[in-house]
Amino acid sequence: MQTSKAPTKNSFNYAVSITAWLALIFLLAPVLLTAIVSFNSSFFIEFPPKAFSFKWYWNIANIAAIGQSTLISLSIAFVAALLCTTLAIAAALAIARYHFPGKVLMTAFLLSPITMPMVAVGIALIQFFILIGTAFTWYSLLIGHMVLVIAYPIRTLLASLTLMNPSLEEASLSLGASKFMAFWTVTLPQLKPGLISGFLFAFLISFDNYPISVFLVRGGLTTMPIEIFNYIAQNLDPTPAAFSTLYVIIVSLIIAFAERRYRIISYSIK
Amino acid sequence: MNPHIPTIRDPITEITFWSRFGGAFCLLSPLLLFLAFFYVVPFANLIQESFRLTSLDGQVSDSLTLHQYIKTLSSSRIARVMERTFSMSVLTVVITLLLSYPIALLMIRIKSTPRTIILLVIFISLASSLIVRNYGWVVVLSDKGALNAFLQAIGLIQEPLRMMYSKVAIVIALVHFSIPSMVLPIYGSLLRQPRSLTEASLSLGGNSWQTFRKITLPLSLPGVFGGTVLTFALSMSAYVTPLMLGSPSSSMISQVAAEQLLVQLNFPYGSAIIVTLTVLTFILVAFYATILRRVFRADV
Repeated sequence: MQTSKAPTKNSFNYAVSITAWLALIFLLAPVLLTAIVSFNSSFFIEFPPKAFSFKWYWNIANIAAIGQSTLISLSIAFVAALLCTTLAIAAALAIARYHFPGKVLMTAFLLSPITMPMVAVGIALIQFFILIGTAFTWYSLLIGHMVLVIAYPIRTLLASLTLMNPSLEEASLSLGASKFMAFWTVTLPQLKPGLISGFLFAFLISFDNYPISVFLVRGGLTTMPIEIFNYIAQNLDPTPAAFSTLYVIIVSLIIAFAERRYRIISYSIK
Repeated sequence: MNPHIPTIRDPITEITFWSRFGGAFCLLSPLLLFLAFFYVVPFANLIQESFRLTSLDGQVSDSLTLHQYIKTLSSSRIARVMERTFSMSVLTVVITLLLSYPIALLMIRIKSTPRTIILLVIFISLASSLIVRNYGWVVVLSDKGALNAFLQAIGLIQEPLRMMYSKVAIVIALVHFSIPSMVLPIYGSLLRQPRSLTEASLSLGGNSWQTFRKITLPLSLPGVFGGTVLTFALSMSAYVTPLMLGSPSSSMISQVAAEQLLVQLNFPYGSAIIVTLTVLTFILVAFYATILRRVFRADV
């Protein structure tokens, strides 16, 4: 009996492991191959690589408006993430701590921008901004990005709040702390992983956005993804490979640091 | 009949609407104001715009009409693109699920260090730029790219295969993009399952496959639902990926709507197309949730 069952049991486990590792290789392969291409001296994408060269990294500086667009993307992403995280703290507290009619529907509404087609958000916003006469400004781009990223800090903060131990705050209140003091010194530090990962994802999603920005920019107002996209569309050389490799390295360092210091991953899973 | 008793306040009837919901309302109001002004109003305006008429000289009239929707639904090009977008999205969801579920299963079985590494890889993928990840597929799939070089080196093909600018390239990139957002909800729902259930099933003589089919999979359906809905919605509205890896013959519906706005400057028609996509996606997701509830009695 046992011998007849053992092969089935093992074959299932083997199938799961093999598929999983293949899927992970699938996930990593393009990134690693892009890194290889970025160090190849050849003037177009070519395998196997011919000679080692750093020149495509220097050539990143020659992407049109790369400096200016990166500054705009950084400022938009930072302010959007900061404002959205602040708005999200209040909203997440209301949802986690209070019972009110229509709460489920309200939560679904607040999280809905994630599932809206981005082109729909872009098209809706640009028509609205033209209507009120503020189209193609830094502020209208900022608002577009806030709509884009608002759901991320709400989601991570709701997760943190449901994991949190409310008795600590109650203890500080009963020991004489004011409501504000209790929030500032007891609740907020416990929310840190949710705050950091919400801010981080809001920042990175905004920094990377193309489909909403493309409707909201014009002329000198441009973002980094738009310039990278245009460069890829017009050139065949591996400069974008160098850019991609740099991008992935920076993102990896940020995520690894945030996990080490604030345990963002462990908190956003449960 | 003590006259003092009525002065004790009844906590249930005394609490007014304001004292119960005022705190929540104050906390929510800044965000709600923001979303009302910059999310609800623009979308209401978008819907209104889609009921407007454009004349040949580009003038938009004020009267409301179904013209743009009739045009959208009767256009054979829109129908073709919509059908293609739908079939590519379903294919993406199925492949993503088949690749992501094993990753989630593997993660609950292995030791904590490799698990953390896999989680880091998943999170870094999630946080990496979409354009960067799509460019990775340009590197792999182009004529002189990694895959063609590999296939030629092992002698499977002589001439490079044309893989770029096709539906295949788009689906591959969409699957690659979707894996992290599929793995995380499934992994979450697997973590919440008590270990004792699978152990009980195995010790009662069920094999691994039976245990998976009868215990693990049904209990993980809420996670599967969350992951598949997100993947489906993102694929249906994909814009950057078909733009980078597709050709006009493989264009998806968001591109057609965006083209009406950015190139044709026909705002009402573009609005009608994108509203149709949004409503259609919503109906399909609701239909899918009903099926999961009825057929699999899943709690989604």
